[in-house]
Amino acid sequence: MGYRVGVDIGGSFTDFAVLDEADNSIRSLKVFSRPDQPGAEVLHGMRLLEERYGIAPAAVSYFTHGTTVGINTVIQRKGLKLALFTTRHFEDVLELARLKIADMYNLFSRRPTPLVARDRVFPIDERIDADGSVLTPLDRASVEAALAAASAKGCEAVVVSLLHCYRNPAHERAVKAIAAEVAPGLPVILSSDVWPIIREYERTITAAISGYVQPRVAHYLGSLQAALKTAGVAPEPRITKSNGGVMTAEQGKSDCIQMILSGTASGVIGASFIAGSCGLKRVMSLDIGGTSADVALIHDGRPQYGVGELIGEFQIFIPSVSVSSIGEGGGSIAWVDELGVLKVGPESAGSNPGPACYGRGGTRPTITDAFAVCGLIGHGALGYDAVKVDAAAARAAVATVADRLGVPVEDAAEAIIKVSVAGMYAEVSGLVSRFGIDPREYALMGFGGAGPMMACILARELKVPQVVVPTTPGVLSALGGLIADMKNDFIRTVYCPLDDAAVATMGTIFAELGARARAWLHDEQGYRGVADVRLSADMRYRGQSFEIEVPLEAAWIAAGDRAAIAEAFHREHETLFGHADRAAAVQAINLRLVIAGSTPKPALPALAAGEGAPAPAGHATARLDGADHAVPLYRRADLRAGQRFVGPAVVLQDDCTTVVTPGSTVTVDPFGNLLIQVQPL
Amino acid sequence: MAIDRLNLQILAHHCGAAAEAMAYTLMRTAHSTFVKETEDFSCGILTTEGVTFASPKGLGATWYIGLDYGPAIRMIDSYEEGDVCLTNDPYSGFVATHSPDIHIWKPIFWKGELVAFVAGHIHNTDVGGAVPATLSRTLSEVQQEGLRVPPVKILARGKPNVDVLKIMNINVRVPEQNWGDLNAQFASVNVGERKVHEIIERFGLDTFKAAQRELLDYAETQARAIVRDIPDGDYFFSEFADEDSDGGPPCRIAITLRVRGETLELDYTGSDPQLSASLNMPTGGRERHVLPMVGLGYVLYTLNPNLLLNAGVLRVARAILPRGTVVNCEPPAAVGMRSLTCAVTQLCTFGAFARALPERMAASPAGGLSIINVKTTDTTGTPVMASLGPVGGGSGGTPTDDGVEGSGANASFLKNTPVEISESEIPVRFRRYHLWAGSGGPGRFRGGLGTVMEFEVFAPETMVTARNRDRSRFACWGTAGGRAGALSRFVKNPDSDHPVELGNKDIVQCEPGDVLRIVGAGAGGWGSPLDRDPEKVLQDVRCGFVSVAAARADYGVVVAGDAVDAAATTALRAAMRPAASNAAFDYGANRSAFEAEWTEAAYDALTTALARTPVVWRHFLKKAVFAAVERGEHGTLAGAERVRRVVADLMRRYPALGALTA
Repeated sequence: MGYRVGVDIGGSFTDFAVLDEADNSIRSLKVFSRPDQPGAEVLHGMRLLEERYGIAPAAVSYFTHGTTVGINTVIQRKGLKLALFTTRHFEDVLELARLKIADMYNLFSRRPTPLVARDRVFPIDERIDADGSVLTPLDRASVEAALAAASAKGCEAVVVSLLHCYRNPAHERAVKAIAAEVAPGLPVILSSDVWPIIREYERTITAAISGYVQPRVAHYLGSLQAALKTAGVAPEPRITKSNGGVMTAEQGKSDCIQMILSGTASGVIGASFIAGSCGLKRVMSLDIGGTSADVALIHDGRPQYGVGELIGEFQIFIPSVSVSSIGEGGGSIAWVDELGVLKVGPESAGSNPGPACYGRGGTRPTITDAFAVCGLIGHGALGYDAVKVDAAAARAAVATVADRLGVPVEDAAEAIIKVSVAGMYAEVSGLVSRFGIDPREYALMGFGGAGPMMACILARELKVPQVVVPTTPGVLSALGGLIADMKNDFIRTVYCPLDDAAVATMGTIFAELGARARAWLHDEQGYRGVADVRLSADMRYRGQSFEIEVPLEAAWIAAGDRAAIAEAFHREHETLFGHADRAAAVQAINLRLVIAGSTPKPALPALAAGEGAPAPAGHATARLDGADHAVPLYRRADLRAGQRFVGPAVVLQDDCTTVVTPGSTVTVDPFGNLLIQVQPL
Repeated sequence: MAIDRLNLQILAHHCGAAAEAMAYTLMRTAHSTFVKETEDFSCGILTTEGVTFASPKGLGATWYIGLDYGPAIRMIDSYEEGDVCLTNDPYSGFVATHSPDIHIWKPIFWKGELVAFVAGHIHNTDVGGAVPATLSRTLSEVQQEGLRVPPVKILARGKPNVDVLKIMNINVRVPEQNWGDLNAQFASVNVGERKVHEIIERFGLDTFKAAQRELLDYAETQARAIVRDIPDGDYFFSEFADEDSDGGPPCRIAITLRVRGETLELDYTGSDPQLSASLNMPTGGRERHVLPMVGLGYVLYTLNPNLLLNAGVLRVARAILPRGTVVNCEPPAAVGMRSLTCAVTQLCTFGAFARALPERMAASPAGGLSIINVKTTDTTGTPVMASLGPVGGGSGGTPTDDGVEGSGANASFLKNTPVEISESEIPVRFRRYHLWAGSGGPGRFRGGLGTVMEFEVFAPETMVTARNRDRSRFACWGTAGGRAGALSRFVKNPDSDHPVELGNKDIVQCEPGDVLRIVGAGAGGWGSPLDRDPEKVLQDVRCGFVSVAAARADYGVVVAGDAVDAAATTALRAAMRPAASNAAFDYGANRSAFEAEWTEAAYDALTTALARTPVVWRHFLKKAVFAAVERGEHGTLAGAERVRRVVADLMRRYPALGALTA
């Protein structure tokens, strides 16, 4: 018996969730992140865990970790000086990207500067056809010339992305072999290794980002391994992945791209786990931190997956937990435009200096400051004494906006909240229409430092009837990492009509992918249990330019049941788009296999039952819906299962504050989650 | 709830969200790939007068912000709950701008009162007519451009107008797809109706009505503030399409931009007569029609990216669109390829504003962007078709930055097709897809490069179309001392012993083994190339964007090895400076040569003469004048006088015309 520890490093705070294997209880902790010295916060937290809870490093039996070091490397452009080798006459793949430019009404808008400057892109003479056959053999001299040129430019690593290598990686591998001879020690990243998908830009940028972040991530993980060892944490640390799984830190050093979105993904995994435990069929997770606000859809306890997630200015195309950004979080700055109209964001005070009320040098009004002025937060310490809310500083900051608007500070503060919520409403509304879902069938799960503060207010705009606030909303990502499965994705492009021959080939390919997947899980990850294997195919109607992923049954593949596979596609198409054409030709583009080895899940401990309404710890005057209320303050730790109370109310706990809107009814569920029936507007 | 400065943004968010919900619904449920990939659609929420006050930002085509449905709306006698109206006729109400754009609108009622409309369109791949996919430059009458439906109730109180639907279905080539798309449009306006009802429930009807006014006023006030900063004055600019028909003379767009305080006038007088090709813009002469205002919308938004995009923006401006011209054609002129002309009006608008605000506007982006489609047969002999994507060029140099390579500015919405997808989809083999070295207009801030696409085909009777080909004669201008970009090119079998220059051809027949190379135009440069930071020139050389020779000849930068020879560069630049042009605009050699003959005065003479003739004669007469000048008639004269003499000759040669004109 020991402690399972999950650590998540966010922009502002680093969160710890600790599961006691003896009694399944969860403890949590928050410390400030140290972007200047990543890793230091982990050791700081480990010391605090011992001081506060007596959790000795030696007692840690399992350790998972999510980090933003990869994504920050891209955002801050502090990665490797890369060279890119492409097929000759296709060198501008990163310059051109997919041509489209965001903010398309602005004549001055630009594509982001490529991660590999054009003078470090070198051509290779070779050509592989769409069917994988060799049209022009690899010219060794061109590889040597490219290597010499890359070395002359001082490139620290080479990314190789040749046309149609997803079909036939032979030329890419030959380039790597030549590099090993000619330039031993030079890291060579092959796009066919990183993520072998069709579409040259998407594959190249994914490989380029992987190469770009690799040394920093590897160095960071190496230091973490060493530090944990010094601290006396014995188990090999595991790193949370963008796909919602975990892998060993050792593997993370080479498979960096897989961990790039680890924080956001594990938050959704945590939310999915809670949703599953509470038996909630449809959940929207609302993760609001100091610098970001994200929403994800969770159906039957499973998150949605997708590709094309944003890493700084670039998309990457590995399978990731699908998360949509709906704003810039509690640090979003309120301002008054040249016509005197109040706006909020997109500029954010970020984690540094942060909201004015955090007293870390911020002076401009943020959403968090508006909540402080309204008296809705600041009644206890946030972040385990890491932050004290300075209401006077919040007032001074909001006053700058109030003066320009010519209204009292409280009115301005409430307007800031309303405008920011309207902005989030607009973004979630887009998501709702994109997926064609009905928000009335959902529960909104608020977490992150600021999610529970805003969830009820947003829910009533969205007509979402129920809000759920888990017991440790401030550290749900850390918890998610703790319970994430060991998981990996495998893909093979087939690009063929869905006919009987194709279905026969599918069996062979899935068998190959399965063998590789099992080797990964059992040999590389050391997993001994029974693997969960899921098959799917990306399919489309002939003539469409996008694919949809369709889950497949192994039995269909075994039986060569083409009709069943086609029907699964038609149904999925119908669900997503509202129509299907059973007479139209279907193409299979990619085959996918996901393997997972499950990790122990905490049985959420039952909370002792209480009766009737809980006793408030105190009252405060708070501004809500245009009026001042004497609002009861409840301490989360005082609440007992089965207790109910009606808003307006504020619930205080170490890692966040929950705001309950007037008329909404809070019920404490058997696990201690707050289930809030939201009073409609 | 009253609308004030504290809550206007709240209503803006909610109304914008409603319009976006319509867009997402359309994209999700539409059948044609066109909608999902190229986003050639629009939608919005309109006042009861038909003025668009909320649109989805960042979704759909960029041209239709502020589209005025008023005239079409008023062509229906009365509205009831559940009605949906439809038109695609370019000449009925001037909402649809060519026949493939099927527009629908739905009245929104609240407790029996008409409170708004929701509306939108989809570009249907085919609506019948003379050619597959309906559009061709060669068509001369709107009747050749397929189905035309004047404003009708397609749903009356929710009940389908079966007769009209039957007529629509029988007139198009792939009726199932159009029907699928129409259903997506119905779904979209229904979502819009529901969202409007939700806004009214949430904020009250009075607030919703006030929000319509206030959002339009807000955008107008923002736009007025932008215009106030533009110096008063008259700013003339002209721009050309290479050809006004297959192999024809240039097509001229002229704009006099008049800035007076907070208002603008875009006077298109001097633009060419309407054509017997499908390049005409059906605007009905309406002073705030969206088509002649597309460039203006881009300019205002660029000057203030916080601008709320709705019809209020257009209130600062009016367009003067002389009848019988290419910007205000009369029926039965064909209009299918009005996109080419509209693109030229955008470049012309940018030029007029560059005259007014030389320090704040960019050089010309690459025009002549064309979409390449291939129809061929696969190895089993089955016909296959695919779009290989757009080929164009970058954005112009700006007062602070180089242009974007390969695309940008008013073509930022386009996406390319991956080479690997095209090659997997149909039997073509790409030989090149990259930026075209040396194509960017030299300048202190260089114009963005053009792209090149080169591919081989493998089956007989392969047909390649390159819609909207342009800019192989006239380049994209540079400004503030910057130079024009390189021309676009279209070559069959380049690098062979029998290359064929295809110029602006938009349909090419190919045989097995034929190779086509399409090179997009380069954008113009901003500022004198002699003022460009030599290190940037060096970096361009390293990237292969500029040759060592061009660095020397265009920029006066001497590159030796991998470095700039600073002393030699200083000396060379000093020697070059006296001869360097500091003209406000550099149009490139071909246009300069053309305008040496076709001066503004010559054009004035031609325009004046043509304006006096019946519309049906104008294009014929224009071509005849150009042909006469080409043949050297009255070669001893020049400019306006020569044009007048040539016109007089023609009047004599065609007595019928003389009689009509007298």
